[in-house]
Amino acid sequence: MFPHPRLAIATASVLAWFLLPQVLSLHYLDVLNFAAILAIGGLGVGLLLGQCGIVNLGQAAFYGCGAYVTAYGTTVLGWPALPSLVFGAVISGGLAALIGFPILRLSGFFLALATLAMGSIAGVLFFEWDWLTGGTLGMGGIPKLSLLGFELSTPGRYHYFIWPLVVLLLWLARNLVDSRPGLAMRAMRDAAPAAEVLAVDMHGLKTAMFVICAVLGSVAGSLFAHYVSFVSVQSFTVEKSIMFLLVPVVAGVHSVFGIVIGALFVALVPELLSGLGDMHQVLFGLVLVLVVTVVPGGLTGAFKQFRLIRRGR
Amino acid sequence: MSATVLTSAEDLQASEQQGAVLLGMEGVAQSFGGLQVLRNVNIDVPQGRIVGLIGPNGSGKTTCFSIISGFLRPNAGRVHFAGDDVTAWSIQQRSRAGLVRTFQTPKVFEHMTVLENLMVGDYKSTHTGILGAMFRTPGAGAELSAMRERAKACAERFGLAKLLSTRAGLLPAGQRRVVELARACIGNPKVLLLDEPSSGLNSEEIETLRHWIVTLNREGLTVFLVSHDMGLMTVCEKVHVLYFGEVIASGSLAEVQADARVCEAYLGV
Repeated sequence: MFPHPRLAIATASVLAWFLLPQVLSLHYLDVLNFAAILAIGGLGVGLLLGQCGIVNLGQAAFYGCGAYVTAYGTTVLGWPALPSLVFGAVISGGLAALIGFPILRLSGFFLALATLAMGSIAGVLFFEWDWLTGGTLGMGGIPKLSLLGFELSTPGRYHYFIWPLVVLLLWLARNLVDSRPGLAMRAMRDAAPAAEVLAVDMHGLKTAMFVICAVLGSVAGSLFAHYVSFVSVQSFTVEKSIMFLLVPVVAGVHSVFGIVIGALFVALVPELLSGLGDMHQVLFGLVLVLVVTVVPGGLTGAFKQFRLIRRGR
Repeated sequence: MSATVLTSAEDLQASEQQGAVLLGMEGVAQSFGGLQVLRNVNIDVPQGRIVGLIGPNGSGKTTCFSIISGFLRPNAGRVHFAGDDVTAWSIQQRSRAGLVRTFQTPKVFEHMTVLENLMVGDYKSTHTGILGAMFRTPGAGAELSAMRERAKACAERFGLAKLLSTRAGLLPAGQRRVVELARACIGNPKVLLLDEPSSGLNSEEIETLRHWIVTLNREGLTVFLVSHDMGLMTVCEKVHVLYFGEVIASGSLAEVQADARVCEAYLGV
């Protein structure tokens, strides 16, 4: 139908990005911006899961770290947004290296449980260290982001800023997956002993990817803090970590650009179902079960399968 | 140990034709809990030769391979390779030094294409890091292209050219074995350890495998081979026989086949 389907998808995406703020309500623009934030944090989890075979159930720890550093930096210390964001990413990356170095010796369920424990401990610390985080009262007054003197104070303006950033990060991730380190990651995911025999430093590579995942989580947290201008412990629970994990699972763990579809699904479907009343969370759970059961390769996997069947015909 | 242990790269070159020891185990012992798997094992693999290791199930052959390739640290004894004591080296260090193994069940990277499998074989001779890869620096791009070209050339040589874009997990056992062999060879190893390479292969595939072992050896590759397949073992110039963790005979295949202890313990004649 289209001679260049990728070009058609890219053109349609750019048009949608440009036109959506003109046609969507503020509420749905808000949801789209949250989807972008989910995509950034979920990209880190997706790289770990899809390329390295590591389940990270603690991304909310780094998401929270980024958000609180931005909140503290901009409101208490009076720092500009960019240094706060970078400092949050550095702290998150450093913590990920410190935590990841010992726990990444584990594998499978044990590693997943270790990351879950990390996320839970971070949640408790965010709550207990109220002198730093504001505890349940949270921290407010976080300034809106400004870009070249242009304040991103509305969902529409934020939309024009955050989605190109998502595309840039996806492009960087795609480059990584298609590179020499990317080949090594996928090799250790598929057959770890064979990768070791070919001189792949698995522990070093896993730790580096854990750091990248944490940095992405932290950047997502900082962007969230600027967007909502208020952060509190309720935003950084284990439930949030599971949402980040759902993004690549729904998208299809091996797909990088599919992360956008996963994030849109996780952000939009509960909103669309919310019109059905109190049961909408249960329905969302059912939809998720249906997706992972019917299309275990995720939505992008289903799309690939569909294309193969069509070619077969 | 009758053969000389090499001490330097110059010695190595000079004695290439003399069959000096390139790889060896000296007095290696290994136990798992109360079970003594290897006892004072001495094995030497001379440069440029094909050496075999045979023995009944549970005799410790794969444990020997795991110790040589670095998956296990022996309780006693040492492993030396190209003049170095590599006993404490990691798997990766040994691999970079030129010691590469294959596995009893071929371990291909199932979700990757044949081309990508071969490119991973080139990992140790390339250097692109994570940041260079993410920002697609010119060096990273050039290196990736070179890896791709070398992998294609390797695929051509091993008869895999038509399978380059096939997912390795979809290949039958024989082709998986060839992919594993090609992947191991692309990094120009000095020694190739083949663990039961003929298991699961039909007679035609075994002939192909034999062809590759002999061809690679003629080109200078030293091969250390574990197999139950006595037909395949005929490619070996020297064979060690392992029985309950001890080397009970060493020599040519004909010599060990004539050894009374071997006949009784392993060949059952």
